[in-house]
Amino acid sequence: MSRAVLGRTIALAALGLAALFPLVVTSATWQNTAILMLMVAQMGVAWNILGGYAGQVSLGHAAFFGTGAYVSTLLALRFGLTPWAGMFAGAGVAAALSLVIGWPCFRLKGHYFAMATIAVGEIVQAVVNGWDLLGGAVGLSLPLHPTGFWPMVFNRSKLPYHYIALGLLLFTLLVNWLVTRSHVGYYLRAIKDEPDAARSLGVSLTRYKLYAIALSSGLAAMGGTLYAQKELLIDPGSTLSTGLSIKMSLVAIMGGVGTLTGPVIGAVLLTAIEEASRMGFGGTGRGTDMVVYGLLIVLIAVYQPSGVLGWIKQRFPASAPAAPPAPASPVEGAAP
Amino acid sequence: MPVTFRASLLAAILGAALPAAAADDVVIGVMYPLTGSAASTGLELKNAAQLAADLINGTDKSLALPLVGGGGLPGLKGAKLRLIFVDHQGSPQVGATEAERLITQEKVAAIQGAYFSSVTQTASQTAERYGVPFLNADSSSVGLTQRGFKWFFRTTPHDELFVQNAFDFLRDLEKKKGIKVHRVAILAENTEFGTGAARLQEKYAKENGYEVVAKILYPPKGTQLTSEVQKLKAARPDVVFQSSYLADAILSMRTYKDLGFLPTALLANDAGFNDSEFLKTMGKDGNDVISREVWALDLAAQKPVIGKANDIYKARHGVNFNGNSARAFTGIFALADAINRAGSTKPEAIRAALKATNMGADQLIMPWGGIQFDENGQNKKGAGIIVQVQDGKYVTVWPMGPGAKDVVWPLPAWEGR
Amino acid sequence: MLLLQTILSGVLIGLVYALVAVGLTLIFGVMDIVNFAHGEFLMLGMYSSFWGFALWKLDPLFTLPFTALLLFGVGAALYRVVIRRITDAPMLSQIFTTFGLMILFRGLAQYFWSPDFRSIDQSVLTGKVAFAGLQFGLPQVVAAGGAVATTGAVWWFLRFTRLGAALEATAADKEAAALMGIDAQKMFALAWGLGAACAGVAGALLSTTFPIFPEVGANFILFAFVLVALGGFGSVAGAFWAGILIGVVEVVGGYLWDPAYKLVLVLSLYLLVVWLRPQGLMGKA
Repeated sequence: MSRAVLGRTIALAALGLAALFPLVVTSATWQNTAILMLMVAQMGVAWNILGGYAGQVSLGHAAFFGTGAYVSTLLALRFGLTPWAGMFAGAGVAAALSLVIGWPCFRLKGHYFAMATIAVGEIVQAVVNGWDLLGGAVGLSLPLHPTGFWPMVFNRSKLPYHYIALGLLLFTLLVNWLVTRSHVGYYLRAIKDEPDAARSLGVSLTRYKLYAIALSSGLAAMGGTLYAQKELLIDPGSTLSTGLSIKMSLVAIMGGVGTLTGPVIGAVLLTAIEEASRMGFGGTGRGTDMVVYGLLIVLIAVYQPSGVLGWIKQRFPASAPAAPPAPASPVEGAAP
Repeated sequence: MPVTFRASLLAAILGAALPAAAADDVVIGVMYPLTGSAASTGLELKNAAQLAADLINGTDKSLALPLVGGGGLPGLKGAKLRLIFVDHQGSPQVGATEAERLITQEKVAAIQGAYFSSVTQTASQTAERYGVPFLNADSSSVGLTQRGFKWFFRTTPHDELFVQNAFDFLRDLEKKKGIKVHRVAILAENTEFGTGAARLQEKYAKENGYEVVAKILYPPKGTQLTSEVQKLKAARPDVVFQSSYLADAILSMRTYKDLGFLPTALLANDAGFNDSEFLKTMGKDGNDVISREVWALDLAAQKPVIGKANDIYKARHGVNFNGNSARAFTGIFALADAINRAGSTKPEAIRAALKATNMGADQLIMPWGGIQFDENGQNKKGAGIIVQVQDGKYVTVWPMGPGAKDVVWPLPAWEGR
Repeated sequence: MLLLQTILSGVLIGLVYALVAVGLTLIFGVMDIVNFAHGEFLMLGMYSSFWGFALWKLDPLFTLPFTALLLFGVGAALYRVVIRRITDAPMLSQIFTTFGLMILFRGLAQYFWSPDFRSIDQSVLTGKVAFAGLQFGLPQVVAAGGAVATTGAVWWFLRFTRLGAALEATAADKEAAALMGIDAQKMFALAWGLGAACAGVAGALLSTTFPIFPEVGANFILFAFVLVALGGFGSVAGAFWAGILIGVVEVVGGYLWDPAYKLVLVLSLYLLVVWLRPQGLMGKA
């Protein structure tokens, strides 16, 4: 079996597993962990469009995630608008915001860009923190009732949240995949790998980077809406923090930057480490959970810097004839 | 693939870390911030809660509180209390996740937590959905008991009462000492805790006819507070109302001294100013700070059980109780009292018992009238006190009755302390 | 007068920011790695001072050379054990590694020393410096002076010693430096040692005024990042001047405007500068 076929098989199996998981596993704790994994994966995949494919490392993506959460929540609280619509409104606002931020920031390269995005993220957090309309530091809360499809609030059952998260992840993957297949993805890779050559061929670097940031932040914002609907409380500290931005990049790095399914694998792994170390050691109050979590991150980063997919690539090199043609690399071809 | 990996990893870790429960223990989930910048407070709360459970489970009856020394809960044939502590890391999402795990996985009879109001909000939401009692002993955000929840109970008074107390104190003091306070300044960290308190302080100051000459919100966890103190200095207030956690409380006091800022009085909103580390660090410079509190050691003079309980805590952990740890301790007693009366670990029975709770003042180590919940789950009989640091100790100065010390007013100069 | 006082207060704290950032920019200049765990070096420097005081009643000022040496050892050892392995990894993996180290160090500090807030309450450094109607805490003045001295020493070292020149050469061009017989591995270890030592000294200088706790690094790291980028990645002089600028803008801005937005002010200024001048104030284009 060639690796591309194997990859597709595994991806389909994983999809089947994700779809059936909450039906088979009835423990709310496990179901909740699975939802967290899907939500984190969705953030990572969204981040990856800009950070992975276009190579623009953003450490301020929480600003867009938070924008999505705040816009849909505000629309729901003020005008009773269903979050299903609010989700797209949030995505639109976040994409617009990202263009305003991206246009000046794309003058900066490498570390300068990354640092600038941290600054942007911190500014957004500080501004929202002082903005009474958005609840200031207290944040906004959604009511527990009414529940149901339109308000996107569900009582005890985890199934709706699971399938919304799964659907959103698949949608994000689909957009990602379409991008890589289109000429935009082709140019983005060119910008990342050979910026000078791309420029000399007449590719407008900034224009394509702006496409990437708008898509990436719009999708991240949709994840923000889901967060708001699941936790029913959004505040600057938990939806706009730099720590959240870093987490989005962490899952992509852990799985494999610039690959379609890498962030999904990274999210499963990182969430598992995070939850297991906290559940296992958090109650001691001695910081053991942080030691375990930090140590595992360092070990993975040092011994497997190209992520899980990089490891697979090394371990199971593709046989030459089976490798699909460029531009899609073999691993990207493994998408469902 | 994800499932097997996760399951095996978790099974390995959980299996190693958690001992199997004895069949008829009463299990209570307790959630506090055990990592992050509030971890030191979280640890104190954890210690106090554990002590309460140990006293109830033990056989030493020398402490005169109900259920102590009974070797467990008599209403459940001597079943022991077992507390499961979890770390919510100060994150509302983790709080909700952990509450769910406590309920569905650990099958807790009730949950106590979570110190941070934001985490209390999401965690109690989860408890509400599952129909498990959530007892909050230490979050003071007013809105928590205005949500119409059926399963939420709060033993501590909330911010509105505390702010009211502070202004009642000022009025009593003006009357007693024949002084007049005119100019009031508010300094608060720019968080849910700080902005909430500042808003109420501003409202009550205006209602009481004081002039608010400055309202300064500062970003917490900063590196310096020079600009804030300069602004205060320029505003020339008589009284400064301050809401800060420990690091900022210490930093601000040092900056006051360095820049020579001396208001007539500093009225702190608990938190950092009542932390066990505050006086250790500030030494004489911490003297004469006034703060709202819910507990003070000198109350032991009228209520010996306070001193006794404190001795036990101090012998174990080397520090005195403070308002936070005393409230966490009391929370476990309130839960134990209800579960014992319910005679069952069924959530509905515990909820009914909590609603019928009527603990008297003599059954608590708090200076409260008792514990009795109103229809929103708020304890009606809670009360606040005002303390002042005098000679390196917190002493009660309000309510001004027998046992209360005289207030040192105004603040003495920094030099020559 | 109040304004002058405020400006000078800003300079004092800005000099300490600069010292933290100097270590960070040194590491960056030589290795192109942004160290997210840099604030934790500062934290370790504070704890080193604290334990010297708590166990043996030694003043932080007295133990400062030991703290510097200790942190040099920590930095160099960290390079040998961990960073060496990611020298050629992509930027994201490097961020990932140092971020993990940050969490690990905070966890270890809580594990060994508890999450309690500590402080040094009896330093030889107490009291005030007052002149011409201005007044400053003596610890702040000494901290600023120490920061200037240390930054100056690092600058002198890079400029006027053979070892420093070798470090600069490695920063400028690794291959060329290797051809000249400079051992890059040694230079990298030296940069990490020096960088950590700078943050450690800053920690020691702050330890008499600032509370000490496992997460204390978080309070300073954002400013350090801003300074490094504002001054120009790798530029010691740039970090120094950026420190003063940021310190003054933060304190004066907070005083004249709203303290709630002093961070916004600082970060906006930073963004404006790098927008106009992407390489930073003194960075090489």
